[in-house]
Amino acid sequence: MMTYIVFILSVIFVVSFVGFSSKPSPIYGGLVLIVSGGVGCGIIMNFGGSFLGLMVFLIYLGGMLVVFGYTTAMATEQYPEVWVSNTTVMGVFLLGLLMEVMLVLYVLKSEEVGVVFKFSGVGDWAIYDTGDSGVFSEEIMGVAALYSYGVWVVIVTGWSLLVGVLVILEVTRGD
Amino acid sequence: MNPLIFTTILMTVLLGTMIVMMSSHWLMIWIGFEMNLLAIIPILMKKYNPRTMEASTKYFLTQATASMLLMMAIIINLMHSGQWTITKVFNPTASIIMTSALAMKLGLTPFHFWVPEVTQGISLTSGLILLTWQKLAPMSILYQISPSINLNILLTMAVLSILVGGWGGLNQTQLRKIMAYSSIAHMGWMTAVLVYNPTLTMLNMLIYIMMTLTMFMLFIHSSSTTTLSLSHTWNKTPLTTTLILITLLSMGGLPPLSGFMPKWMIIQELTKNSSIILPTLMAIMALLNLYFYMRLTYSTSLTMFPSTNNMKMKWQFETKRITLLPPLIVMSSLLLPLTPMLSILD
Repeated sequence: MMTYIVFILSVIFVVSFVGFSSKPSPIYGGLVLIVSGGVGCGIIMNFGGSFLGLMVFLIYLGGMLVVFGYTTAMATEQYPEVWVSNTTVMGVFLLGLLMEVMLVLYVLKSEEVGVVFKFSGVGDWAIYDTGDSGVFSEEIMGVAALYSYGVWVVIVTGWSLLVGVLVILEVTRGD
Repeated sequence: MNPLIFTTILMTVLLGTMIVMMSSHWLMIWIGFEMNLLAIIPILMKKYNPRTMEASTKYFLTQATASMLLMMAIIINLMHSGQWTITKVFNPTASIIMTSALAMKLGLTPFHFWVPEVTQGISLTSGLILLTWQKLAPMSILYQISPSINLNILLTMAVLSILVGGWGGLNQTQLRKIMAYSSIAHMGWMTAVLVYNPTLTMLNMLIYIMMTLTMFMLFIHSSSTTTLSLSHTWNKTPLTTTLILITLLSMGGLPPLSGFMPKWMIIQELTKNSSIILPTLMAIMALLNLYFYMRLTYSTSLTMFPSTNNMKMKWQFETKRITLLPPLIVMSSLLLPLTPMLSILD
């Protein structure tokens, strides 16, 4: 099982995405989002990205999703929709599950995972030992590079998030 | 809308398009598209009625799907070439998916269904921004990947767009839908020549934006959104009836006016590349476009369209100040003698 752990985690990832995109009530969407966040963190950590996995848990699940949960709890309705309460939601969920099952069977029948791209080993997540400055991993160097060479990306992303908040406030303001 | 917020959101629309046009990294281009889409939604929803909400939702859904397809093409390109620069798309699958995604953003057939409905549901000024500024970003990406685009797919979409743009506009009386179908047809002309000579695509884009700006500003000036209310302009501002005539005929591509320049150059470039049937078909289908422009000019400028008697006796004339209308009108009708200047674009 350990050789297929990334594959199993990715299947659980996709199934929880199907779970919230079949649109039950947002509080249940947040529930499967927690599951998918945790599983996604597991996938990243299997590639050696321990820092980024920690970021997912701390910032995404522990910060953003908590705020989302609180706001949803304030705005929830009396009878929230579950996956089995509405025929449409259940139908879409089962359709998504069916597509995922078919994909899993297709991938398992062929010997290698090579559907659209070829997955070729550890690659970028390898840990380098340069000898003079100790062991450093390319993944944390990437995060450091985001703030040094990639300042423009940080500026653009920060501005997009700010404008996102403004846009959402403007759209929901109404008349 | 609060003026400060409105300015911020409008500047973000500009910034999004600028990021798309300036970046060399595929991820930044995708971020630029998303920023553009996000910021234009409240501009489309300036008035809060169900029509604008529905139009903005349709626009958001189609453009978000197109962005997802673009991201998929970017990732397939990354998997096959290992790099993020925008020089060339290295994989045919990625190229086809990217072309389809950009065609969805532009409103080419078979992804054109959102254009008339979204343009009809929003106000005239928002429709202006939608049909002119929003076309710049996808067209710039198509320009940059033009060497690697699959010719068959792009030409099929282009010719079908010209056909749909001409045919679909025939039964319309609402001005915004007419402009939407005209936009579909012009996008078809632009993408038809993209693989042969991308400079002409940019020329056509420039002249199309000038003419569409002029048309929309003339509509805003007379506050008319239907053919019927446009036909009352002889009473409100008689000068604009002549200007509407000239600009509409320029949009149809009639010779002494600037709209003829891109069509002429495109047909010349296509025949230089030994495809004769294609430009013939395109020119014939542009006649459909010309027909509904002619119908508009007939009801507006060439005849005094039947109206009730109290419409003929206006006593209160309001004048709106439309920025840059005279230069736009001059540029969208008189640029044809400047055609030899195109040699500087090489």
